[in-house]
Amino acid sequence: MKRFLKWALLVVVVLVVCALGAFLYFIPPFFTTAPEDFGKAMAAAAPGVDGITDPAERAIAARGRYIVMTTGCIGCHATNGPQGPDLTKYLAGGGIKSVASQATYVSRNLTPDKETGLGRRSDDEVKRVMRSGVFPDGHVVAVTSMPWGAFSNWSEEDRHAVLVYLRHLPAIHHPTPEPVPGNAITASGAFEQDHAWHDYGTAEAKPIR
Amino acid sequence: MTTLRSVLASTVAAALIVAAALSVARARVEAQPRGKAVYDKHCSECHGADGKGDGPAAAYVVPRPRDFSGGKYKIRSTDTGSVPTDEDLVRSIRQGLYATSMPAWDRILSDADIQDVVAYIKGMSPQFSTPPKPVALGAGTPSAPASIDRGHQVYDKLQCGKCHGNDGRGSGAVTTDFQDDKGQPLPAADLTEPWTFRGGATSRDIYLRFRTGMAGTPMPSFAEAASDAEMWDLANYIVSMARKPVWSMTAQEIADLYAKQDAEAKANPVKRGAHLVNTLACATCHSPIDDQKRVLPGMRLAGGVRFRIEPYGEFVTGNLTSDKATGLGNWSDDEIKRVITRGTLRDGTRLLPFPMDYGSYSTMTPDDLNAIVAFLRTVPPVSNKVPPPKYKWLIPYLWGKFNLLILGGDPPMTIFSGNAGTKGGAQ
Repeated sequence: MKRFLKWALLVVVVLVVCALGAFLYFIPPFFTTAPEDFGKAMAAAAPGVDGITDPAERAIAARGRYIVMTTGCIGCHATNGPQGPDLTKYLAGGGIKSVASQATYVSRNLTPDKETGLGRRSDDEVKRVMRSGVFPDGHVVAVTSMPWGAFSNWSEEDRHAVLVYLRHLPAIHHPTPEPVPGNAITASGAFEQDHAWHDYGTAEAKPIR
Repeated sequence: MTTLRSVLASTVAAALIVAAALSVARARVEAQPRGKAVYDKHCSECHGADGKGDGPAAAYVVPRPRDFSGGKYKIRSTDTGSVPTDEDLVRSIRQGLYATSMPAWDRILSDADIQDVVAYIKGMSPQFSTPPKPVALGAGTPSAPASIDRGHQVYDKLQCGKCHGNDGRGSGAVTTDFQDDKGQPLPAADLTEPWTFRGGATSRDIYLRFRTGMAGTPMPSFAEAASDAEMWDLANYIVSMARKPVWSMTAQEIADLYAKQDAEAKANPVKRGAHLVNTLACATCHSPIDDQKRVLPGMRLAGGVRFRIEPYGEFVTGNLTSDKATGLGNWSDDEIKRVITRGTLRDGTRLLPFPMDYGSYSTMTPDDLNAIVAFLRTVPPVSNKVPPPKYKWLIPYLWGKFNLLILGGDPPMTIFSGNAGTKGGAQ
């Protein structure tokens, strides 16, 4: 009887470990989700423009939506969860990306929220980040963190369309960390952290051939 | 007595000149550290640490940032071959250069900062030892229908349409795809979109571009081919060519404009594909960088960037050039589109949905996908064999997942400098 209990306990423990392992293995369900479903989820998550009353503004915002959606802004400007990027908080920021030997970045909230999002920023300030990577405090965000060098190739009219779309997103109150000089995590501050590049060197990088 | 006085006077004058020159030189030297501080903080990401126009962002932006060591400037109010005046440089920094990634700095930098950084930039090129030769600017010709008509004739006489098109937007041009003197792409300006004119869109700005030429570009000076009056008439004509920008249009006009742009994109898929690849930031992950974060020479889109993504493993970005052995040269159109929209490689390997965000890319229209493939076919081959993905072994993978999901660790994505691929010889 005692021996049976011992065996039963062992089986239960093994089962629990296997179950936990399988649970961990299958979330996030990247490889059990059909590839097409990622695209459907992305298209469904991007808020539509039908609610915009002014027809000219609606037409421009539709162009902006296409650019924002296809460029994959949500890939960085979302909080990562067990299911991948949190698509319910569309473009509300908070995703963390690190760049070797350089700095750790936290993506910003792009929704029109007045306290934590782009509601704080003027049109010119938003366009300037997209065009030149220059933040309102004057620092230039490293092109390896936000690829603004690519977005600077949008035509001025397309950049305007992206801005119009961002202005019509539902506002989400979602604070993201502010840059703190000397802190390992800054919201954008390659500048404060740039010395780290030299401190760590490129020991992990392969030699250039 | 007169001799003595004149000797004295000339000595004093000479001493004053020397003192003035010394103080100017000292002011210049004193401005250098301040100018350097401003430059390093605000300018070096594009223009590079030593002003060669090769900063980390340089490889991604069209047009490329200015190389200050050459002393060649497009936007000047000075004779052909001359350096710009300080006022020209200050103006470009204050206002920015429209339709480039050079922003207007006037809200961020003080006038003193701008003066200091101008002094610092001038120190980067020996050409500035020769003083600038500003052009004498007349009163100009006010815009009037007669002047615009004459300007139209000058446009035809000078054959502006050979590069800019008869309608100012490329129709009937021999070609609009030009290069600057560094071999970088530089399309002819669309003259109906004045908000893209780098140096401004007033008749005075436009006149100066004809008069002085744009150094380092195929745009010459017309000072000898046309009279001053003709150039002012031409400037008035160019101003009159402007179309409405999208932010001033009605819904119908916007629909027409977008339909026209879509038709042009469909007619020229390679050009559209180049624009998409440039704006979708493909090159940011698919071009290896050095330890200064600059794209390795000749390696744009050649892959080889190593990513470590916890808890999955290590992955190297693919070679997107048309190389047959190591790039996309032997891939069929459908195979390329399958990676872009479904993250599935030729051998059936599934990619993670990030950083290669195929979910987002799959929302592109079929025309745009075809355009991207058409453009990638034209990328010159670079032999760079990238290693296959290295997924983690099961137990470290499960431990990484446990750490990430149960203990709440941050999912770190680390990008490494250097080329993790094997660069081959000539094909």
